[in-house]
Amino acid sequence: MSNPPHILVIDDEPQILRAMRTILTEKQFRVTTASRGEEGLALAAANEPDLVILDLGLPDMDGVEVCSRLREWTQCPIIVLSVRDSERDKVAALDKGADDYLTKPFSIEELLARVRVALRHSARVQGTPNKVVKAGQLTIDLAWHIVKLGEEEIKLTGTEHKLLAYLAANHGRVLTHQSILTNVWGPADADHTEYLRVYMRQLRKKLEADPERPQYILTEPGIGYRFIADE
Amino acid sequence: MNFAHMRRSSFQFWHYLLSFVIIVFITAIFFVLGDVLDKTLIALIYLIPLGFITAFWGFGPGIASSVLAFIAFNYFFIEPYHTFAVHNPSDVVILIVFLVVAVVVSQLVARAQAGEAMATAREREATQLYELSIALAGLHRDYAIAEILAKHVQGTLHTEAVELNILGTQPFVFHVAEKKQPTRPPELTVPIQAARGILGEIRLWRAAPVISSGEKRLLQTFASQGALALERASLAQAESRARVLEESDKLKSAILSSVSHELRTPLSTIKAAASSLRGKEVGWDSPARAELIEAIDDEADHLNMLVGNLLDMSRIESGALKPKREWNILSEIVGSVLARMKHLAEGHQIEVEVPESLPLVPVDYVQMEQVFTNLLSNSLKYAPANTKICIRAFVEEETIQVQVSNQGPRVPHEDLERIFDKFYRTTAADRVTGTGLGLSICKGIVEAHGGRIWAKNLPDGLAFNFTLPLIWDGATPSQIPTDTETE
Repeated sequence: MSNPPHILVIDDEPQILRAMRTILTEKQFRVTTASRGEEGLALAAANEPDLVILDLGLPDMDGVEVCSRLREWTQCPIIVLSVRDSERDKVAALDKGADDYLTKPFSIEELLARVRVALRHSARVQGTPNKVVKAGQLTIDLAWHIVKLGEEEIKLTGTEHKLLAYLAANHGRVLTHQSILTNVWGPADADHTEYLRVYMRQLRKKLEADPERPQYILTEPGIGYRFIADE
Repeated sequence: MNFAHMRRSSFQFWHYLLSFVIIVFITAIFFVLGDVLDKTLIALIYLIPLGFITAFWGFGPGIASSVLAFIAFNYFFIEPYHTFAVHNPSDVVILIVFLVVAVVVSQLVARAQAGEAMATAREREATQLYELSIALAGLHRDYAIAEILAKHVQGTLHTEAVELNILGTQPFVFHVAEKKQPTRPPELTVPIQAARGILGEIRLWRAAPVISSGEKRLLQTFASQGALALERASLAQAESRARVLEESDKLKSAILSSVSHELRTPLSTIKAAASSLRGKEVGWDSPARAELIEAIDDEADHLNMLVGNLLDMSRIESGALKPKREWNILSEIVGSVLARMKHLAEGHQIEVEVPESLPLVPVDYVQMEQVFTNLLSNSLKYAPANTKICIRAFVEEETIQVQVSNQGPRVPHEDLERIFDKFYRTTAADRVTGTGLGLSICKGIVEAHGGRIWAKNLPDGLAFNFTLPLIWDGATPSQIPTDTETE
């Protein structure tokens, strides 16, 4: 990308805006800030940013609604910020089209990592999708349905394979329980978290060195799962 | 006209008919024995069935039979026979005396009957009121009161439908209907009136029989009983609210005193480190620089944890802590907590016996992590270095039992329950850091999940135990669909 990516930050706390502007500008991003939902929506429409960082606790409107209004016309990645213990809001925002979330207070490394993943993912969606995903010892060929751990091919059941393929195709991004269940089992089973738990355990047993301390498929407590691939 | 009404009037008809049959029957007997019996004796004997008829069937059939008996007596037994004419003046006297006595007897008997019926009705009313007041006693919820009141009104007055419209902070309507709720306006509406105003009203549907004034009075008495119960309930609620407020007020001042110290410690570190980085005391290449930065980062995390604990506690206190339950694998939760606390736990030996084969548990993942984190950090804090900390879980009937045990100091028996109280510590506050909220947060979370938590002294240490139900909304997890290996 010749132009530095443009990031719109919508947050009502001036200190957060100041810190974000300083840090993101330092990292060679172009930054616009808004302190209210309506202002943020107007700025997004005017500037068409490459990424939106959105606080869910805005004074004038619900962050989840800002999310769904943005999604009416743009597919640019949205990272939502929220305080601890608001899993319901986070899940609602993610199901309304947000790409990722961060819990305040967060470290800047985390924020930058999420920004990089989101920008890369949106570039991938626009271009051709990745056919092979690599993560440590693990190689997943999405086109040929082959999963290898080192040199050894791993036998997966149909559902396990669908599950792993969905996670790997969206590597780096958080996927909510509901979105995984809908995509792998179908909309009718969107509430059966127990399926997910059981299959995820089977999958981790086959892939992870220590299934209790997974390094490929991470649990996002109360939200969903995230597949970590090589950069 | 409804069926009850029709049934009643046909009853009446049968009473009249039977009375007449009896009179005719007796007249026929007298007619056969006419020569043997004296006419004054006949007149006297007629009075016996008349008395019984009035006693059994009421004043109407009584009077009607009296008149019939009078006519029959005159016609058959007073000379000249088979006419209504009377020749003998003494016969006139007999006839008049007969009629007067028959009517007076009927009336007396009927009055006694009515008096008895009224006494019975009064007694029934008193019983119903007593039953209502017994049923209402001890109820503290408006809804339960409305339910009892509506059912009693329905049961006592045999209405088609009763509707209770209760006002107050959370207004609601309670219906009881025999079949379908009628669409027409109610036949009777009685306000539920208390000293502080109208608390609601009772609406009643009963087309027939028409509601009598006695029933209206009874309904008003019911309404005032209901008003008393509602008022008592609202007073009880106000009192418990006041108690909660007082409690939370105490909690707040305790937080202020205990926590301001606790919050100031990391803040002091952050302030000192940040200001020295800002000044010129620490050179760019000095190793102290990295150390100071790390201190700021660590203390910010610490501060965040303290604030999180406070928020959790206030949420538990206000009853706002609602677990977002999902079927979870307990060993996964324990594993993720241990992974996160790896650095803190380096000085101890952690043993985990949480089999993967345990059934799924319906818990809030994040809150359960919090319970394990708090129990573990409590054990890490109090148990000496290099001792063992065990996490065990097993199924017991319809619950899962979890134990986190350590080889730390035992707790005096009388304090075993109190360690779950807010800000309670067994050791002096300056020896161990923390808000003193960790265990009471565990208790709040476990209880919100429908489990229970307790501490127990072991021969060589202390164990925290808690239970979690395996049944969620009366069910276990649904069958997981299986699939086969792909080739």
